[in-house]
Order: sequence, then structure tokens, then C-alpha cells
Amino acid sequence: MAKIEYDVIVIGGGPSGLSAAHRIVDLAIENKSKLKVAVFDKGRRFGAHSMSGAVSNPRSIKKLFPDYETNGFPIEGVCSESYVTFMGKQSSWNIPSIFSPPDFNKKGYLILSQSNVAKWMASHLKEKVKTLDYRNTVVDLYRGFTASEIIYENGAVVGVKVDNTGEPERDNCYAKITVFADKGFLSQELIAKNDLANSSQTWAVGTKEIWKVEKDYSGKVWHTLGYPLLDGTFGGGFIYGLSGNRLAIGMVSGLDSKNPNIQPPQVLQNLKKHPMLQKMIAGGTVLSYAAAVIPEAGYYAVPKEFAVDGAVIVGDALGVMDIKGFSGMDKAMESGITAGETIFEALQKGDSSTKLLGAFKEKLMNGWVGKELKEARYFRHAFGVHKELLSSYIPSFVGNLDSFGPYIGGLVTILASPQAIPTAISAKKMMDGKADIGEISLKDDRTASDPAYKPEPLSEPAGYDKKSIYSTADVVFYANTHYHDGNEHIEEFDSETCSECIEKYGINNNPPPCVGDCTAEVHEVAEKDGGKRHHMNLENCVQCRTCELVCPEKNLKVNGAYHGSGPDFAGM
Amino acid sequence: MVFIKQVPDTKSKAGVNPDGTIDRARAKRMLNPFDRFALQKAIELKKENGAEVTCVTMGPPKAQEILIDAFDYGADYGILLTDKRLAASDTLATAYALSALAKYVGGVDIMITGLQTTDGDTAQVGPQIAERHNVPQITYCESMKVDNGKVIARRVVEGGHQKLESTLPVLITMANSAAPLAPKRFAEVAAVKEFLHHPEEREKRVKSVNLDDIGADASKAGLVGSPTVVGKTWKLGELGGSCVMYQGRSALDEVNELAEQLQKDDRGIGELING
Repeated sequence: MAKIEYDVIVIGGGPSGLSAAHRIVDLAIENKSKLKVAVFDKGRRFGAHSMSGAVSNPRSIKKLFPDYETNGFPIEGVCSESYVTFMGKQSSWNIPSIFSPPDFNKKGYLILSQSNVAKWMASHLKEKVKTLDYRNTVVDLYRGFTASEIIYENGAVVGVKVDNTGEPERDNCYAKITVFADKGFLSQELIAKNDLANSSQTWAVGTKEIWKVEKDYSGKVWHTLGYPLLDGTFGGGFIYGLSGNRLAIGMVSGLDSKNPNIQPPQVLQNLKKHPMLQKMIAGGTVLSYAAAVIPEAGYYAVPKEFAVDGAVIVGDALGVMDIKGFSGMDKAMESGITAGETIFEALQKGDSSTKLLGAFKEKLMNGWVGKELKEARYFRHAFGVHKELLSSYIPSFVGNLDSFGPYIGGLVTILASPQAIPTAISAKKMMDGKADIGEISLKDDRTASDPAYKPEPLSEPAGYDKKSIYSTADVVFYANTHYHDGNEHIEEFDSETCSECIEKYGINNNPPPCVGDCTAEVHEVAEKDGGKRHHMNLENCVQCRTCELVCPEKNLKVNGAYHGSGPDFAGM
Repeated sequence: MVFIKQVPDTKSKAGVNPDGTIDRARAKRMLNPFDRFALQKAIELKKENGAEVTCVTMGPPKAQEILIDAFDYGADYGILLTDKRLAASDTLATAYALSALAKYVGGVDIMITGLQTTDGDTAQVGPQIAERHNVPQITYCESMKVDNGKVIARRVVEGGHQKLESTLPVLITMANSAAPLAPKRFAEVAAVKEFLHHPEEREKRVKSVNLDDIGADASKAGLVGSPTVVGKTWKLGELGGSCVMYQGRSALDEVNELAEQLQKDDRGIGELING
């Protein structure tokens, strides 16, 4: 069988990878050049493993698809009302716009389903080349195929091995340039091998449910803080009104938490117990559930180089997400567009070395993506420096908000801890990038959890409808997960290490972080062979990679599911 | 020759009308799950005996999708029988049309079908094709091999299995306890994509024919050829319900808690879950 070869292969069919493919194909059509492109996605279809909030600035979409408003690009709504809402346990307070950061005002932005966007971008890519001469332009989409290994030749990336059950050589796919839009599944190896890491990434985990509800909330957007995250974990909630009487309800929790038992799906259930949410979802039904991780560190965690010989890294694999503006998809797409331009130039010149591809970094970081990332460079870090913001002031305000309302409650909070004001001022300076403390180095999330952590019992809002709240086992059902026989996509390197970790956390009645932070009831501690052992229910896995990121012992590795296995985040 | 069918995707609610009928134009489509066992058997015969695998289907032009899908798994040729006059065929008319198609292709040693379809659920078409060809049939086949020009098969019967031997040609319907369809291989799929890009190659391997092309009698096909009369259809109601999970230290704890909940106020399981 002949060697399978393309000019460019894209690993990962999310917004960044597909933006790169679109840009390259656009340029090839414009310049009438010969081109063969392939895009791989491990989901059973494009978009099946892709999810996000998402409220997005349309700037990158407009650049790639100037007629996006009329060409069928999937838009779930346009934001008409945008709130930042502080959640007490019973009450809620929409913070007046003069007090809330301008970045949080999303009026005019698009409400999107990333899964639908990926699905549409893939089919639109095929559509673009449909009428073209196959001898010039070829675009092949491989859904359900996972890149399982990077193939190097003299240090340069020359392609990938497809499918870890594939036959070596026969199931290899070669390319002049490989684009890694894989959120780190494979590209973390590329970064480690070439020593490109600047600083560790800080990840957060997001969980989301879509509900069909009785009232129409389309165009309304809430971002919440306060309840239910009162344990000092960085994060917040979001509620987006979608078309067709649907609501997207989500929670994001930072994985740099001391708490080894975040239980992301239950944090989301806790948000749903709040009276404000209860009112919104009353009489409704849940349609789907999804979970994914988000690279939040920003500026100082992007790699030293964005390209190596024969390969380019884009999107979340780079970490160009900007948590200050909740701006992920537009920056990921821009990274793909910019990479696409650099790649096309390199192909034209017949040189896929770092010399040409390396220009991608400069181009992206000198543009608006780099500028905004730089401005937000200390945003996430400010909460790490001023831990009392999340662990003390916000929980105390949550209580006072319920008792006294926002203004008097705020006053009570400040009177009780007057140092809150200078702390807030100093944190605000950092968040706005006005204080300059030079380069920062972040710790691995896996080092954050405290085995001796003692959770304070969360007192629940009263009077919620139990039928609207799900156990984790129940909610995972709505991720439409399906695995083919024999899949073993999470590697556990040493079972003894797991047992020791279980013991270390267990002494303090805590689960190990892989169990406590799992979004889909994959990990559990099971009694086996007279001891406590780590056990995995792999058939539940939604491929979010949280366990790998929080494993204190670096003992777990999540590989891409193969044969189209995994969740189906349709519409998420 | 493998007879396959495109059916509405049972996992999707798209295209389901409020009265429970299906709008096939709006419904998501998939390969009939029972046909996956038939296709797998054919691919195995290709590997073991060097067979050439032709997949045939009857349906609207869009049904070509499943022929392309079958290529990805390793099929060699695909033929779509599509004709407006085939609309509303019952099993008699469908089997007539499909057997006419098989005769048109000619030289078939083994015809394989799935047990039944998920939309019709009759399991009649396979056996009827065998009758129309006057060839032996082995239904509910779980495994088979070809040896010395003969088929040796194991079929599922009530209370056990039956082993039997048949001459060729033969028609086999595969039980859903047979070997499941093996995943697509990348190299195979890449090769299929490559030939699909070339119009001349594509024409060689995927064909679309109508009743006239295959010399079939249109009066025996479609609605006019179907003696079946649909008397009445009705909706069986919604599936669904809710679930209460008990998590205890041990299975015994969980059972005890469940029993306790059930005994409390003399509630039944239905009340417990819904109340």
C-alpha cells in the first residue's frame, strides 16, 4: 500500500484546527496552488468532543467567514442583556455595570455552541472544495480517527501514527506540516521533547448542562460568582439563554484548588439549587451534559516557541485562552488563522523548518491576541497572590448579601475585614495589568491539592426541586458516551503509586484528586485484594483529561479515545 | 453480495412527528444495525477466501451514504437501486426488486443479509430473496465458513444451535450474536477517500440503477406491487422515567436502604421514584 501523504494534516477538529485548515484552503484557492489537507478528529463526528460556554466576540469568525450572519454559521443567539451576578445562598445581585469590569459586558457578542461550530466548520470546509478540481485541491476529513503518536525524522515532525490499534507504517499518515490543535493530548510531548514550556499551565474544569425550559431567555447572559464555590476555588458560573427556549448552565472550577474533592458535576448541581436557577429551570428538562478543561494561565504559560521543524501548535494546546475576557474561542480561531497564513507561506517556499514556521509566534503575539493576553497576564495570578479574596472575603459577602442585601452587606463585609479594600485595590491593579511584577512562574495544578484539606459543609439553599438535581452517575448519561470494546485509553503507570496516594488522602477522609475531581464517575476507590485500589470505569469517560492534570504523582495519562469512542457533545 | 439498508437513526429524535410517525427527509440516517453483522461476515470472507464484496441497497439517492460507509469497512463495490416507483414497497415488493437486482448483477455465490431492519422489523426480506432465487437459506446464522465449495454454518435455534452444510449459492441472514463489525482502519479509509476523489474510479465502484436498468417489472414493485394494507397506526406512548441512586458503603447497605425506603409509608417502587 502506498504511503499516505498530505501537505498539511491538522490534529483536532476544534475551532483552532479548523480555522487553520480553512485559512490554508482559502489561500490555496486564491493563489490557485495545489494542496492536500487532512483534518483528524477523534470524535465519532466533528464536534462530538468539542464543547465550550460560549459567548464570543465575533471578530475571528468575521475574518474567516465575512458572511457568517447569512451563510449558515450556527449562532445560538446574540447577547442582548449581559449581567455579572453575585450569588448568595438565597439571594442574587446583578452587579451594576459601573462596578463590573467592562470585559464582562458581552452585549452584541455571539452565543455559540462550540460543538455546532466545529461541526459546521468541518462540513463547510468540504463544501468549499466540492466544486474544485480534485487534482488541485483535496480536503479529507477523518472523523473517529485519533493521532496516537508523533512520527519524527531527524528531529523534525513528519506525521502521526493514526489509531493506537493501527498497524505500524500501514496506518501512518505523513505530512509536510502537522498542525497540533489537540489541546495537549499529543502536543504536550512535543513541548516537553523540545523543552518549549515556559511555565506550567493552570487549568480549570468546566461542566455544562443544556436545559429545555418553559420561558424564553434567548440573548440573556449571566456570569456568576460567589455561591456555590465558597471553598477558595477559583471559578464561577454561567447561564446563557439560547434560541428555542434552551438554557446553557455551567460552572468552571480552577484545578489549582486546595480541595482534592471538587466534584465538578456536583458544583454545577449546587448552582442549580439556587433559587434564581430553580425559577429558571422549573418545569424544564435536561437535554445534555458535557465537561472540558480550560487553560487559564494565559500569557506566561504559552510555550517559548509555537512551532518546531514540521509542526505548529495552535489553540488550547498553546494556551491562548484569556480568562479575563472569557475569551477563548476567538483567540483560538485567530491562532489557527495566523498559523494557516504562516503555513501557506512555508508551503509556497517549500520550507517547513522552524525558520519559517517560527514567524507564527511573533505574528500572533504582536497582534491583538498577544496584546490582550499581555494585559491580562496577572489576572489569574492575582487570585493566587491574594488568596483571601476567594477564601474569605467572597464567602463572607455571600452570607452578608443574604442577610442585608448588596450595599449594607458590602459595608458589613468591609467593616468586618477593613483590609479587604487595599487587597481589592492591589488585586485590581494586577488584574488590569497595571502593576508590573515581571515574569511569573506558575505551579503545576497537580501540586495544589492538600491531602489534609477539611471541607466546610456547604449549607444548601432551601426548597429546591430534587428532580432537577442529578447524581453524577445520572448526569453522565446525558453526555451520550459510548466506547467500543477493548478501549483502554487512560494509562495508569503504577498501581502501587495509586494505592499509596489513596492512603495519603484517605487518612484525612479525602478521595484522591482523580476521584474527587472527575467529571464523569470514571475514577473510584474500590476494595480489592484486601486493600483500597484505584479503579476506572472507562466507559463513562468524557475525555476531559482532568484526572491527568490533577494526579499528584504524574501516574495517569489520558490518551485520545479511538474508533470514534467517547462522548457526543452534540449542541454543547 | 450484502443487502444493506439505510434506516432512521434510533438515537436521534430528529424527524419524529408528534403523532409518532417518521419524516424520513428530516430524520438522521444510519446503517441498519443488524446489517453490520452481515457486512462483517462478508469482510471476513473477503479476507479468508478472497471474496469480492458487493453491497446493494434500495432507497432514495441519499442511501448512497451507506454504500460509501461500507467501502470504509472494506467492501469493494456498491450498487444503489433507486426509483420513485419503489416507494411504499412492502416485503414482497422489496424482495422482488432486490432479487431482480441480484439477478442483474449475476454470479453471486453468497448472499448475506442482516436478521431484520430496525424500521420494518419483519425479518422477511432475506428469506423471500432466497425463495425468489430458489436457493437454500440459512437464517439466524451465527458463524460460517466456506470450505471446498460448501458452506458450513452454525445457526441459532430455540434452545440451542444447529450446525448445517449447504451448497452454493446460498442466502444467509446473520444473527445479532455473530461477530460485530470491526472498526474502520485508517489505511482503508484513506484509500477509499482517494478513489472517491477520482470520478472515473468512483463510477467503476459505485453504481446507481433504476427498475428499467435491471429489467424489473414495475408493476411488481412499490405500492402497486405491495399487497400489504396498513390498517391503523397508533402511538405507544413515551419511554422514560427517573432513577434514584443509593450509594452506601457496601451493596448490603444500599439494598437495606432501598428496602427501608420501600417499606416507609408502604410505598411502592413507582411512588418512591416519582414522589
